[in-house]
Amino acid sequence: MTNTSSIQQEFDQFGYVLDEELATVLFLTLHLQKPLLLEGPPGVGKTEVANVLAQALDTQLIRLQCYEGLDVNAAVYEWNYQKQLLSIKLQEGSQKSEAEKESHIFGEDFLLQRPLLRAITATEKSPVLLIDEIDRADEEFEAFLLELLSAFQISIPEMGTIKATHKPLVILTSNRTRELSDALKRRCLYHWVSYPDLPRELRIVQKHLPQLDKQLSENLVRIVQVLRERKLNKVPGIAETLDWVNALVALQATNPNADDLARSLGCLLKSADDIEMVKASGLEELLAVSE
Amino acid sequence: MADYPHFTQFESLPEAVTAFCQLARENGLNVGLQENMDALRMAQLEPLNDRIAFGYALKAICCCSEEERAQFDTLYEWFWGWEKGALKAKTVFKNQSNIQKKTPASLVMMGVGQQQAGQEEEARNVSGANRVERLRKTDFSKIEEMDSELLEEIALKLWKQMSLRLKRKMKASTTKGPLNLRQIIRYSISTGGDPIRLFRKNKKPRKQRLIVLLDVSGSMDKYSFFLLRFICALRVHFEKVEAFLFSTNLIRITEYLSASNLATTLNILSAKADNWSSGTKIGACFRDFNEEHAKRMLNGQSTVIILSDGLDTGEPEVLYEEVQKIRRRTKRLIWLNPLKGMRGYEPTQRGMKAALPAVDIFKSAHNLDSILELEKFLLDV
Repeated sequence: MTNTSSIQQEFDQFGYVLDEELATVLFLTLHLQKPLLLEGPPGVGKTEVANVLAQALDTQLIRLQCYEGLDVNAAVYEWNYQKQLLSIKLQEGSQKSEAEKESHIFGEDFLLQRPLLRAITATEKSPVLLIDEIDRADEEFEAFLLELLSAFQISIPEMGTIKATHKPLVILTSNRTRELSDALKRRCLYHWVSYPDLPRELRIVQKHLPQLDKQLSENLVRIVQVLRERKLNKVPGIAETLDWVNALVALQATNPNADDLARSLGCLLKSADDIEMVKASGLEELLAVSE
Repeated sequence: MADYPHFTQFESLPEAVTAFCQLARENGLNVGLQENMDALRMAQLEPLNDRIAFGYALKAICCCSEEERAQFDTLYEWFWGWEKGALKAKTVFKNQSNIQKKTPASLVMMGVGQQQAGQEEEARNVSGANRVERLRKTDFSKIEEMDSELLEEIALKLWKQMSLRLKRKMKASTTKGPLNLRQIIRYSISTGGDPIRLFRKNKKPRKQRLIVLLDVSGSMDKYSFFLLRFICALRVHFEKVEAFLFSTNLIRITEYLSASNLATTLNILSAKADNWSSGTKIGACFRDFNEEHAKRMLNGQSTVIILSDGLDTGEPEVLYEEVQKIRRRTKRLIWLNPLKGMRGYEPTQRGMKAALPAVDIFKSAHNLDSILELEKFLLDV
């Protein structure tokens, strides 16, 4: 991947339609070896970027899903307490000093590696580390990440600092449910992923459903684009578009009418209020935009 | 109009890149030395020599949020545009004016259309950090429409920081909660591996209820909008906030606070509060509160915040009695009075005088800084 267009081609092979800007940013990520923060609404393919990147580079993908209450024990490392207790018991009769005992049970054998530590200690080549939905984690957790993201190292009090032999390619995603700290942002390259425009979304649909009639897919995508303009509670993402198009294919609606639309609307809109509103405003009208 | 540098003025690309970083920094983007270095390294990468890719790459380095991206585009166009000065610099602080269109409801609350003389007495046309500093100290009632959006932004940011500090943390404990294995094993080594001392980790005790009573009578007009936002901010971080509006009668607004966005909340509230900006009967409203809600909500551990100027048209005796009643049921009664921020203010109005003996903390709430001072009192709510 020596320039942006080769990245685009590479991603294209794996079914991801990359726009030029994101390709440039990815190129930069690879060359500056800085983490990349992808922000944007849900369902625009942020996580998929990391997946495809790992495939394209033929390397391991290590994923950390963030959630509220995520702590160091679940994200970085944990000691294997059972094993430690057992080992202490086994050493009871031995003549070892306390310091020796301590250094023994806090050795690498007793360390359980969690995603972040795994990413640092990868031996063969740089893995792709995906830290997904970082906005869900507590603010305190962001602070843990700072060391990792800037110096690519992790400090374990009992063992010292572990430095990465191969710097992982870090991709962070955020749905922006809260603002991330400036400290974290400053360590990353930033890219805002928005909903795709008509031509790009069309290419995505055709990429995933190549057998689908061109005119039909264009009509459907146009409907989605119109819906996105409305004031919905939950705006449909690309995943929803694909689901919906798939649903219509399954319903064998080659020329969808209002009835088909009503039946499959649940694939596209994920809130009762939204469905209600769209139905009230007239499905026929919605179909008309695609003509 | 300020004269902005242009890339043609510089002899080499690194110089131009550095100058651009400086420009970005001066215009409020978060561009420090690190970003500057990254930009220089980026400029050396062969495949990014193409103009468009260069722009994209620079953007990824210099921006930290969607809003900043818009601002970046303008700056980029000035600096790297083909013709110097081709683009007039009229869109400088673009992101200050079009972030969110005000809803009519919030405009009403802010007292728009009631232009008053003397609004411009405070220093204007200050930019950057000074501007922020000044706004924090400006009385809410003297904030102009243009500034109010910026103030809201700052307020939300600061309130968020404040609530972050107030947030619960895991705390070591020896009596409750799940075992803290790490600590147990550490200590068991000194006893030959037998875990004799047990350590636990426990959550800090749950926060107690916070009850907020906001005066929305005419005399509070200029303040109530900001104070309402403050309540909304509290709602996000305190699990149990009960909020009421009062003027001539009392309305419970707790359920509306949970609406997903602020604009919706404000719309609902303004529709609901038909007595907005009317007279004040503080005593009678507090009586309603005591009769209907106090028993359920106040348990001796709660904190009550009253946001009012104390300009009461009812009987001071009633007010005195009712405030005392509230006091008896709470751990702490905080009265925030925007008028207190005025120089030479004395709580001499009948209502305020009557209420004061029962109040634990009497503070002003006329500007952002004064509200932030509340933090220390909320710490042990």
